[in-house]
Amino acid sequence: MIPPENPSKHKTLSDWVHLYSDDLFQRAFHRTSDKEAAEDLVQETFISAFKAIENFRSDSKARTWLFSILNNKINDHHRAKFKKVVLNESEFVGSKAFDDNGSWMDAVSPSKWDELEGALLDQQEFRAVLESCLADLPEKWNLALLNKFMEEKTAEEICQELNISPSNYWQMLHRAKVQLRICIQNNWFNS
Amino acid sequence: MNILMLSCQKASEFIEKKSIFGLNRGERIQLFLHTSMCDACKSYEKQSLQLDSLMEEHLNSELNEKSSMKEGLSPDRKEQIIKDLKEK
Repeated sequence: MIPPENPSKHKTLSDWVHLYSDDLFQRAFHRTSDKEAAEDLVQETFISAFKAIENFRSDSKARTWLFSILNNKINDHHRAKFKKVVLNESEFVGSKAFDDNGSWMDAVSPSKWDELEGALLDQQEFRAVLESCLADLPEKWNLALLNKFMEEKTAEEICQELNISPSNYWQMLHRAKVQLRICIQNNWFNS
Repeated sequence: MNILMLSCQKASEFIEKKSIFGLNRGERIQLFLHTSMCDACKSYEKQSLQLDSLMEEHLNSELNEKSSMKEGLSPDRKEQIIKDLKEK
């Protein structure tokens, strides 16, 4: 029940839930693509806000403060998810791209693609190929790619967030892109 | 391997590194020398950028479709949050 010593704290938080939870949810959903996770993140945001309300200075905007808490929660969520996924490259049955000298294997050497039509993505078949090629990648590479393209973040921020070194990060993206390119070449341009 | 000449593997790594973090002067020169002689890596460099823009567009349009419903937080969850707060 409401503790009598600070009924206003509960009133303030309830008001905030009514005012801001929809916006917070949309942000969380946009960055996680996961409704359940987004709802949990919003809930955790309000719990944290409640616990830390003494730190909230009334001259700043509640909305901004709540969004900063949410953003931290979202980053933690991405980091935890990325960490949880085990990268097992030995189980990955991708094409061998390079020989022992570091030269392209003949079968996968990049050859010219026919001029890309601007509206390649308007073709449902191409989108299907792209999606299945992405799905074939090890999940960890996939998460790294998603972070690169869906988050408005610098590479440094992503490395920090995923807790990997810069060289680890670009090497991971390199392997992912090499395989993705091979898959698209085989399934779209050569077929 | 000649000290100036990169392998294709290394060159393609530099191509990715370049688009993410940039290259230092020495690396830029090495990459330039390699791609000016290697058609495969020249194609790779171009296709790597094409893949980036395809993926960016694809992933974001997919996301926009998903979030275009503009749903807010479910009323049930709002109630639950307020209830949880009361118990704190």
